[in-house]
Amino acid sequence: MAAAPPIAVSHPRRITGVLLLVGRAALGAILIFAAYAKLHFNGAWHLRDYNFIFAIGIDSYQMLPLWAVSWLALVLPWTELALGLLLIAGIGLRWVASITTALLVVFMIALARAAILGLAINCGCFGEGSTNPARELILDSVLLLVALAVTVGAFSSHRARRLPA
Amino acid sequence: MNRSWIRVASLAVAAALIVPSLTGQAKLTVAELTAAKSIGSRQAPITLEVFSDYQCPDCKRLHSATTQQVIDNYVSSGKVYLVHRDFPLSMHPYSRQAARWLNAAAAAGLFQSTENALYAKQEEWGATGNIEQALASVLPAADMRKVRVMESSQRAQLDAAVQADVNLGNSRNVSGTPSIFVTHRGQMTPLPAGSVSYTLLKQYLDYLLQR
Repeated sequence: MAAAPPIAVSHPRRITGVLLLVGRAALGAILIFAAYAKLHFNGAWHLRDYNFIFAIGIDSYQMLPLWAVSWLALVLPWTELALGLLLIAGIGLRWVASITTALLVVFMIALARAAILGLAINCGCFGEGSTNPARELILDSVLLLVALAVTVGAFSSHRARRLPA
Repeated sequence: MNRSWIRVASLAVAAALIVPSLTGQAKLTVAELTAAKSIGSRQAPITLEVFSDYQCPDCKRLHSATTQQVIDNYVSSGKVYLVHRDFPLSMHPYSRQAARWLNAAAAAGLFQSTENALYAKQEEWGATGNIEQALASVLPAADMRKVRVMESSQRAQLDAAVQADVNLGNSRNVSGTPSIFVTHRGQMTPLPAGSVSYTLLKQYLDYLLQR
């Protein structure tokens, strides 16, 4: 009796897999860069005092009490770094992608709130080229879509692996 | 011969009397005006440079919520040298004039009281552009006279000082106000632009002072 032909991976599934891999890598790289930018600025590493500077930036959103601002300033860069590395390595994808998505959702809510309230994040009266909540919102929407896709992809592939052969 | 010498001597005396009144007082330098806008000891371990625009609401917020506490708790004890830098933004039509008046007041030794007055009356002169009237309603008459004299007699120097601060800000990529630069042990660190909470700034200053 002839052997059954191997089950070929469909072309669309392969493309989806590649896209998700690219999305995961891009998201991971962006998170790592975000962490780097918070720890290294003004031409030097600020591993001992980054949290003081970052806290001032977080506080401009006027959302959190100062104790929360200080705590978040301390942990967020390292969280971003860890998430970025895990995304690229593909470790614990369902958890990592979900946490990343949740973080981006929270950040987008903060940006949207700032845009609605007309808060000038990090700015009193900015000139040209200034940080604009509305513009940041659009950029982060794209990131959130990628994160959502990676999350869905992570859960789908986990489910597919668990299906009996 | 004697008449010629008398004529020459008379001309010399007249020149000696007239020329000083024509040239007026010595022209102020940018460095002198910067020093006049600074508070505290230059030997302080930390220098805080604040680029601000007097028509900027966040600058007013910084001034009222943070700057005065920094002056009371750090500048007065010699821990911080506070330097004001003018950075009038193009979106504020009267901020450059306000900066000129502030520099005039600083030259007259009235920097702090005038800065307080400018921020206190920000909405008023910001709507009308009548900075002189707004200051006159707050400052004592004698002080206002001094400021007026400086503003009219040193206008070019005052504008040059404001522009020097703007040029410095541009060289440091300042794009908005307030923008604060903290210098400690030769290292300058820009803080995120915008009004800074005194509590958070205090934490950072205390950390730097411990190093």
